Amino acid sequence: MKLSGSQIVIEELCRHGVDTIFGYPGGSVLPLYDELYKNSGRITHVLTAHEQGAAHAADGYARASGKTGVVFATSGPGATNLVTGIANAYLDSVPLVAITGNVSVPLLGRDTFQEVDILGVTLPVVKHSFMVRDIDYLEDVISEAFRIANSGRKGPVLVDIPKNIQVELAEYTGNGVDNHQQEEAITGIDEAVEAIKKSKRPFIYAGGGVCLSGAEDELFALSQMLNAPVGLSMMGLTALPSSYELNLGMCGMHGAYAASVAQDDCDLIIALGVKFSDRATGKTDAYKKGKAIIHFDIDLSEIGKNVEADLYVQGDLRLTLRSLLDKLPDMKNDEWLAHIGDLKRTQAGLTDDNFMPKQVIEAVNRHCEPNTVIATDVGQHQMWTMQYYAFSNPKTLLTSGGLGTMGYGLGAAIGGCMATGNQRTILFTSDGSFGMNLNELATAVTYNLPIVIILLNNGVLGMVRQWQTMFFDKRYSNTTLERKTDFAALAKAFGCEGYSISTIEELDKILDNLPDGPVVIDYRISKDELVLPMIPGGGTVKDIIVEAN
Amino acid sequence: MEDELFTIELIVSNHYGVLNRITGLYSRRGFNINSLNVNETSDPNFSRMLIVSRGDDYIQNQMVQQLSKLYDVKEVTLMKKVK
Repeated sequence: MKLSGSQIVIEELCRHGVDTIFGYPGGSVLPLYDELYKNSGRITHVLTAHEQGAAHAADGYARASGKTGVVFATSGPGATNLVTGIANAYLDSVPLVAITGNVSVPLLGRDTFQEVDILGVTLPVVKHSFMVRDIDYLEDVISEAFRIANSGRKGPVLVDIPKNIQVELAEYTGNGVDNHQQEEAITGIDEAVEAIKKSKRPFIYAGGGVCLSGAEDELFALSQMLNAPVGLSMMGLTALPSSYELNLGMCGMHGAYAASVAQDDCDLIIALGVKFSDRATGKTDAYKKGKAIIHFDIDLSEIGKNVEADLYVQGDLRLTLRSLLDKLPDMKNDEWLAHIGDLKRTQAGLTDDNFMPKQVIEAVNRHCEPNTVIATDVGQHQMWTMQYYAFSNPKTLLTSGGLGTMGYGLGAAIGGCMATGNQRTILFTSDGSFGMNLNELATAVTYNLPIVIILLNNGVLGMVRQWQTMFFDKRYSNTTLERKTDFAALAKAFGCEGYSISTIEELDKILDNLPDGPVVIDYRISKDELVLPMIPGGGTVKDIIVEAN
Repeated sequence: MEDELFTIELIVSNHYGVLNRITGLYSRRGFNINSLNVNETSDPNFSRMLIVSRGDDYIQNQMVQQLSKLYDVKEVTLMKKVK
């Protein structure tokens, strides 16, 4: 049967189980949007305020649902507005298919109106990209795009479709390309088992790879079997319930004290799906000193990239961990567990329960279900959320890890909310981050999404200011916002409820009586709060700062 | 190990934009290309590339692994100097 290019795109999306997409129309995608109009019963298109918001929404949707996020944009500025969203998905290995229109093939390369070489622009931040210059390849390209986005280490794929291709006709088979992937034999397990058996003080360091693979149960089983404490990277924070006694929480620059010290005191790091980011390791020579490292990852290029591993096991963590579990004995070192217990007690002594950001996050936490999706923006509020929110279920955290994108949160919350069938979703943000993409409040209102926006408002760019406080003698260069924005009034202008408050009692009262749609809660906090503990960049655990002075 | 010249042989799709993806990877990682040679293979669907650059073991290994991840790269061979 012959179909137009636009029809082929819609049919392929449906064949890949896509029922929700995010995007923004324009001249070069008119035929595609016409087909969306005719197929509105099969695919819901969520119209955002800006293409960047659409890209973040598709990213949030993918993280919360485990499916592939899909975003549409027109050529030129529509396409370039996606770039930050695509880069964000690339750095956090999120499966995303971005479909952009472009000017017709005969007009390419002539600086036509709204023409941009989006393949060239996005080259360093995509897993792969296609431009479809021949309608006969379109069906296979869309199918390949979904396969590539989801295979191996996941990531974004861009498909650029010139306008004439969207209207030309081609035979549509609906069979897809042969996606059969050969399963590779897992090697290195026996060596890993031997190294683990020799370890007296094993430490598991788990990251986003565990979540992407769905290996949460295997991670838990491994920790139980070895009686090994677990530290998590930020991307892996939902890999274990925070209530689990051997879960020490987040490692790294703003990680938990016990996690950082235990990681330094261990004799073996079992690293699962982590990239050893500079934010996680600090100075790598010191990080590695006195311990062995076994690195499990699906991506061979991660092995030895940032930290040299003594052994590695390549493969999907769910499979590699299962074969590891089959061969491991139960192990227990009471001395090591007692040490971990001591570290946790020391950490408890460092915690200040009057710390306002902690109180706010814990108050919100009390009103949430274990499966409530939590989105964040980037900065101090993000780190506080990682430190104080008690995550319990997989796929409940949407946060920008690798790219650190201020303005990610609201779009992601919209996507996450839609992925959960419009369940109550929380966004922790701040005046700085929220200011970047607050236009998406219009989207949340239009679709009446129950997103609770907790805006920790300190009037400054808190994280950068914290560095200026600690390392630049309090020279606050351009981090004091001094804006007059009334966020409660702004919320009302967008058509939703808004409150400006400064006490937990007020917060509890609002959270007890939430409206159906979005709500903005502007919570005033001091501009001088710090994220602690902190291991300064390039430092070691010995440099850990636990108290403000 | 010290920096040395090393050659990577690639079999890649014979398609526009592929050269860009390969050289983009080198420049992104900050590796200079000393020489680059591209020829169509006997199968016109593929090209063979010979890329000479300079680096230590770490760089050589990273380049092989990163190049192997590219969709258009079908084969990667690190050609070692015989000592």
